[in-house]
Amino acid sequence: MASSKASRLGEEVWKTRMDKVNAELVVLTYGTIVAQLCKDFDSDYVEVNKQLDKMGYNIGLRLIEDYLAKSNTVRRCSNFRETAEMIAKVGFKIFLNITPTITNWTSDGKQFSLVFDENPFADFVELPDDGRAQDELWYSNILCGVLRGALEMVQMQVEAHFVSDVLRGNDTTEMRVSLIRYIDDELPPEDD
Amino acid sequence: MATAIPSIACLGNNPLHTSIFPSYDPSSNSFRPMRTPLQFSLILSSTLDVFELRSRQNAAAGVGLTGDFGLLHAVDDRLAAYGFETNTGTRFVVIVDMRGRRIDGALAAGLADGRDKRIAGAAAGLREGEMRPVFKAMQVAYIRLMQNPFFDPDDHSPPAGQGGRKITSRKFAEDMRRIGEAWTPGVTSL
Repeated sequence: MASSKASRLGEEVWKTRMDKVNAELVVLTYGTIVAQLCKDFDSDYVEVNKQLDKMGYNIGLRLIEDYLAKSNTVRRCSNFRETAEMIAKVGFKIFLNITPTITNWTSDGKQFSLVFDENPFADFVELPDDGRAQDELWYSNILCGVLRGALEMVQMQVEAHFVSDVLRGNDTTEMRVSLIRYIDDELPPEDD
Repeated sequence: MATAIPSIACLGNNPLHTSIFPSYDPSSNSFRPMRTPLQFSLILSSTLDVFELRSRQNAAAGVGLTGDFGLLHAVDDRLAAYGFETNTGTRFVVIVDMRGRRIDGALAAGLADGRDKRIAGAAAGLREGEMRPVFKAMQVAYIRLMQNPFFDPDDHSPPAGQGGRKITSRKFAEDMRRIGEAWTPGVTSL
């Protein structure tokens, strides 16, 4: 699917089929979750990242059905590039009303970066000033989990992680997504 | 750069944040704070009593639950403290230097022939509501601070929390600095 067509689809679904909620509700709820995780794990930010990823994974597993239904997707993406287009221009558009930019493809077409110009989760946020959060915490790590979970349900095993975040003082917020393999539908073992 | 606000503060019952800005000192032709941090701190703390008094009066009269308290007290012929209280009991205090204001060419000309009543009025003293943009901007900055999930208000108020800590947010300090440096009488938005 051409990229402009994906944008149009995302725009249309966002306008006509999505229920909207107050942005501050989302921002504050997510912020509370992260802050509480930091407290519960005693500022072990590596563990917090892991928990966020796990939560996201569980969200992704469910969200993909909603995505497929709302976007009326009837066929598979023909390649990983198309998948990336659909993630950025339809997926992120209809659920968060943002369209991250896709860049930095590797030549084998199995890895790309999503650059977030805006990140609704990170409004108002200032990372704790304890000298470690700036280096260890990926505030929006839940998004990595969501992608991983959602793509796994459509037979793609991917790995996603953030490589930079404006909250840490970087210039951009960038997520790296790499395709590990297409999962073949596994048949149940035959009982001969 | 001289600023019209030598000090700007955000107070609970304990000081949460204080910024002090340099004023122009004509005798030495230099920019430096008009008072020591301790003196400013004493001035700010003494305003708390005024807040207390006013809010009791207001409660008795059934008006002005929140908002602008106007002039709290004039410290001397140069300094005056203005205050604002939010519904949650956080007080903003701005100490204004009546002499340290910047006057640019056009404004000074308006003053000289007295045609421009608005500017002339502004120079004669602060009018009602002229501090409002400052407090508005401070409140916006404070709201943004509160929205940060990692900011825990309990840490900062003695009655309920472990208490007594100052605001360490860099963004908030930056906002205060911007407000302090940008405001002069007559500025309507910050």
